[in-house]
Amino acid sequence: MTEFTLYRHNPLLDPAVHVWGWEIPVYLFLGGLVAGLMIIAGVRLLIMRPTARQALVCCTVGPLIGLVLLSAGMFALFLDLSHKFYVWRLYLAFEPTSPMSWGAWILLFVYPALLANALTHLPEAIPALAKRVPVLVTISDYILARPRIVVGIGLANMAIGVALGIYTGVLLGAMGARPLWNSAVLGPLFLFSGLSTAAALLHGILVLTTPDDERPQFADFLLSMVARWSQARPLDTRIAPTLAQADNSFLTIELGLLGFLLIGHLTSTAVHQQAAGLLLTGPYAAVFWVFVVGLGILVPLVIQHLELLHRIRHTIAPSLLVLSGGLVLRFVLVAAGQASHWATALP
Amino acid sequence: MNAPFFKYALFGDEMSLVVAFVIGIGFGFFLERAGFGNARLLAAQFYFRDLRVLKVMFTAIITAMVGAYLLGRLGLLDLSLVYLTPTFLVPQIAGGLILGAGFIIGGYCPGTSCVSAATGRIDGMVYLAGMIGGLLGFAEVYPSIERFTKITAMGQITLARQFHLSYGFLVFAVVLMAFGAFVMAELAEKFIGGKEPGPGALLEPVRTFTPVRRFAVVLTGLGVVALFAGSPYRSALAQVDTKQLALDALRAADQVTADQLADWLVEGRNDYLLVDVRDAQSFAAYHIPGAVNLPLSGLNHDFAQRNERVVFYSDNAIHTAQAWFLIRSLGFPSVYILAGGLETWQEAVLYPRAPAAGAAPKDQIDFAKRMAVAKFFGGSARGATSEVANPVAPVLPKLAPPSPTAPAPDNAQPAKKKKKEGC
Repeated sequence: MTEFTLYRHNPLLDPAVHVWGWEIPVYLFLGGLVAGLMIIAGVRLLIMRPTARQALVCCTVGPLIGLVLLSAGMFALFLDLSHKFYVWRLYLAFEPTSPMSWGAWILLFVYPALLANALTHLPEAIPALAKRVPVLVTISDYILARPRIVVGIGLANMAIGVALGIYTGVLLGAMGARPLWNSAVLGPLFLFSGLSTAAALLHGILVLTTPDDERPQFADFLLSMVARWSQARPLDTRIAPTLAQADNSFLTIELGLLGFLLIGHLTSTAVHQQAAGLLLTGPYAAVFWVFVVGLGILVPLVIQHLELLHRIRHTIAPSLLVLSGGLVLRFVLVAAGQASHWATALP
Repeated sequence: MNAPFFKYALFGDEMSLVVAFVIGIGFGFFLERAGFGNARLLAAQFYFRDLRVLKVMFTAIITAMVGAYLLGRLGLLDLSLVYLTPTFLVPQIAGGLILGAGFIIGGYCPGTSCVSAATGRIDGMVYLAGMIGGLLGFAEVYPSIERFTKITAMGQITLARQFHLSYGFLVFAVVLMAFGAFVMAELAEKFIGGKEPGPGALLEPVRTFTPVRRFAVVLTGLGVVALFAGSPYRSALAQVDTKQLALDALRAADQVTADQLADWLVEGRNDYLLVDVRDAQSFAAYHIPGAVNLPLSGLNHDFAQRNERVVFYSDNAIHTAQAWFLIRSLGFPSVYILAGGLETWQEAVLYPRAPAAGAAPKDQIDFAKRMAVAKFFGGSARGATSEVANPVAPVLPKLAPPSPTAPAPDNAQPAKKKKKEGC
């Protein structure tokens, strides 16, 4: 019997996988958010009329924030690595059967795609910067003069965004040892959660920068400082309802996918049913129902619906709720996933 | 179905949080509809311009009070199981002053700041952030003010019990007081705040029997009923539902196994009271960690909170069962017996027996867990063969000075050593 115990506790046979702290959920959240920003930016770049040039929020601010957030997420991922100095080895090979390898290469393409999207309209967004760095104007003019490149950038952003969003889910879904993660629904779920958080972030930025009588003076002062420094045009707030509408669609799909994930588990083996039970009635039920489903999806859905009906004003409350809901979804799934296991008798 | 639902285990700990969320959202929704997401409206009451807050809150209080009284009187709600916050007079006055200062400065109380933040007001969000910062700060300084927070403890008291009033009289008095306050508030709004009573006010200048006035009459009528209807608490006399008790006993729903209790102790749960009903001497010799000693003669109706989950154990099965019956008949809803008493605890938890050499892997794994648990409680495992070789029960660990009459089994040692390597 001692033999049996030792054999199962051998780290080479039974890898210790209950070791993911805050880094991985934060990375998954930021990765999904950036994927959503990319897709929205790509779509907006494609459907925008060239004369309108009102794409500052989605096509410039979004990608610029995306670059920062992705770097923060990659740093969190880097912190989680045991062998930090061997990162470069990921780029010596491409292993088509490994989600990790896919992710490493996808992340490599995210940066140029985001950057190209941001540069397309950067001189209009931040004229002050363009004056100091004239090459930005050259690049922007070069891209805008060639519609094929614009279409290419838009399509590349959409494609890489979808790949990035799905990959963050597949990364967990491919892990057979943890029954809760072992579902293909996780990919689309994280993709749509990422899209909803991205739409909420852009909507929140628009609401914050809309001129408003009731805003405290110090906030107006800070905003006008930023505006004066960058000599930027005011953001196009006409797109706010569209973003809220898109966010509601994404949230609805996300809710449906969560349902599919749980139905899939509940109709599977006893191990998977137990894993779903962790979220439905077990130790993660309160956090899941309250913060993910309640505050993260249902309440913002209702608030944004009322906003769209012009019953209440557009505020940043739903944005904050959706963003925190997306973050908690990653934390809950990573933590509950690590708590789910095949051999129920093992600690 | 009896209330309070949680105490009667209609749902568990996790679901209770979800229920709390749903109730909280509903509460917030109606606060918002009453206009309480607006700091200006909340501040207006301090200038007697709009005393809506007083009216809404006082209406809520008397509605809940009359409702709780009636449900208790009808036997649907067991009032003695409803949690009462213990009173610490001086610390609570200090806390009230701090909260009041925050209310005046920021324009919100904690609940309304959440409502305000949810409606997207920036000041509400800042207030909420400050509140969370304050919670963290309080947790940090708590050790140094802990002594202050415990002074003038008065226990879980109610006004009725403190002033020896009948519960019904108190309900009636508070309802009258509320309507008096409403009339005073509307007069103050009129003469100080300069606001005439509008539609929906009690003093609305019409002669019809408006819905508000009807509501006031109904509530006052229910208050009069309360005045004469007697105590809403269940009778202090023992009421034994013998059939229910028998059913509970038959289904063993009244038992906690030794393994279960060990799990609770290892998890560090504190939502139950473990009572040792042996005499003080035996208790001093050994007791299960965390147990309190209360001999059978010391059991009475106020030995614990009535909503406490109580687990009895002893080395005498009859005494345990008698304690269980006594306390159940006093109306405690969740009383349990440690199945098998101390003997089983010793057998199953302190000194688990190793499975035979060829046992199924499941048993092996199970035993590995048992060994860890035994180690936690200061016991150790016994070999599979010890049953025949050494029928004498091993001594209880640590707490007991080893009794000279019960020799320690030799075979306990090797098992202990093996375990140290394994788990």
